Amino acid sequence: MDNSHCPKILIVDDEKGLRIGTKRLLEGEGYVVETAENGYDGIKLGTTTEFDLAIIDLKMPDIDGIQVMKEILKVYPDSVCLIATGYASYETAIEAIKFGAFSYIPKPFTPEELFQKLTQGYSRRELIIEKKKWKQEREERLLEVAFEKSRLNTIINSITDGLLVVNKNGEAVLYNPSALKSLGFDQIKIEEYILDKLHPQIADLINKFLSSETCEQKSFSSQVELKANRELIVEATSSPVLNPDGTLAGVVVVLQDITELKKIEFLKSQFVSMVSHELKAPIAAVYGYLKLFSDTSIPLTEEQKMNYLNRSQIRLDGLLKMVNDLLDISRMELKTVNKEIKDVDLPSIIRPIIELFQIDIKKKNISVTIEASEKLPHLKADQDEVSRLFTNLISNSIKYNKTDGSIAVNITASGNYLITEIKDTGIGMKPAERAKLFQEFFRAKNDKTKDISGTGLGLSIVKRIVDSYSGKMEVESEFNIGTSFKIFLPLRYENNNNV
Amino acid sequence: MAKIAIIDDDPDILDASSLVLTSKGYEVVTATNPDDGYRIVKESSPDLIILDVMMNEPDDGFFLAQKFRKEKILSPIIMYTSVSKSLGMDFGINELVPVDEFVEKPISPEQLIEKVRKLLHTKGEV
Repeated sequence: MDNSHCPKILIVDDEKGLRIGTKRLLEGEGYVVETAENGYDGIKLGTTTEFDLAIIDLKMPDIDGIQVMKEILKVYPDSVCLIATGYASYETAIEAIKFGAFSYIPKPFTPEELFQKLTQGYSRRELIIEKKKWKQEREERLLEVAFEKSRLNTIINSITDGLLVVNKNGEAVLYNPSALKSLGFDQIKIEEYILDKLHPQIADLINKFLSSETCEQKSFSSQVELKANRELIVEATSSPVLNPDGTLAGVVVVLQDITELKKIEFLKSQFVSMVSHELKAPIAAVYGYLKLFSDTSIPLTEEQKMNYLNRSQIRLDGLLKMVNDLLDISRMELKTVNKEIKDVDLPSIIRPIIELFQIDIKKKNISVTIEASEKLPHLKADQDEVSRLFTNLISNSIKYNKTDGSIAVNITASGNYLITEIKDTGIGMKPAERAKLFQEFFRAKNDKTKDISGTGLGLSIVKRIVDSYSGKMEVESEFNIGTSFKIFLPLRYENNNNV
Repeated sequence: MAKIAIIDDDPDILDASSLVLTSKGYEVVTATNPDDGYRIVKESSPDLIILDVMMNEPDDGFFLAQKFRKEKILSPIIMYTSVSKSLGMDFGINELVPVDEFVEKPISPEQLIEKVRKLLHTKGEV
């Protein structure tokens, strides 16, 4: 017998010969045996260790066998006790069993009689232990179920999607706080008919299952505007809840808030439309001119031809610039621009830009001044981006300037920022135009701007670059007087693109 | 000789369209924004109005058309459109959009002349 599974037996008997003989006999069969020579020792042993079986003599000089058994059973109720008695009688047997003995064994007994009783007793002991184990497991399982249920509730209540379960009769049986919020209810009464209170589209989704008792495992979805003006749009999905036998128990509805998604979708399609429109305009203009050239019924003078060719060229240049600007914006949006962060000396970036525009500056006879504080600290930035930023701003200050106007560039350091002010004496902006300044494709349209070409994307790019360095911009403008841009760039570069 | 007003913020479109129409003998007046457009229509009472749908705002051409109709200016209107459909403004010819024809940019001279003639009920050269 495997030692760990050897039945442990306690023998309590005042007869020394019986104790020793029985012990030897049982040990020979693989039992683990301990003995006590009186009731007192028997109680002591039997209540400190749990024995599988105990053979207790009924008549002992100090304590009565039944009393010893009672004491042991008080501590270890699962120990199986056999009462041994030399005065076997019905009465003693019944009494012993009444007080918890498994059986009794008349003395003297043969080894066969003993083994038979012990085998029966041990089976009983195994049954008791098995039963106890099952009981314990069942209790644990019940606890687990209760725990699982509360955990499930916690999970359901914490998900951001709304969840509503209705039974076959259209009565609410389960919901979470998000569902309450989405549906705009103060409360949902459990087991109360709810379909008439729901948005008709959601009720329809539920009725798809309830009316047909469809038991197919499929779902229905639809987008439902729960609050007008796109304030709350949900994607509602209904699925059947089935009984174990496959019949319909109810319907579960999940409400996913897609308001933000719809907003982005709307903005995206608006942007795409704007882009298409802006791209189509120069194409339409050039197309129109080409059609004039090819239409033999419309006579054109050489001068007209040159003019139209020239203007087609200008429109195509603009188109090309716009496509490049769009690509820049797209790269910035996707944050695929790898900034090459280096020490950047701002005045030595701005001076070459002004050189680049010398022809335009001379054409309008604009005077340009650059003032920079001495020992200006260097920026940590990507040289190309800083250059693109100021190219856009300086180009604007020239394009929108008046003849004989001026541009003043002033660079100073203040706290953690390098501040660049670009002030022009141009046509300025009205407050309404100023408000739309950073919108893609916005260009102030009036008599003064009608001959100025531009993509409407320059300042949009400027803003994106400034934002990517956690910088800020200030714009002051007065219609017909001029505009001043102040660009604040932090001296230290902190990478905030790793979202 | 029929008089036509063209209102479009794109000077190149204005030029090309004007040239096409003047070459066929029409008298053309032009404007580059809705306000000027309204003014020239009031001043010169054209027989036909060509109107771009999207000028300063995505739909100001449309509002200008409504304004004309409200003020009983009943000259036929041809509306130039570019991407109005994808902007969600699905214009159809009904009482809400009081125009007679749509022409999608880019515009070919033949198409323009055909629509103009149809609306002016004229055949052949004027």
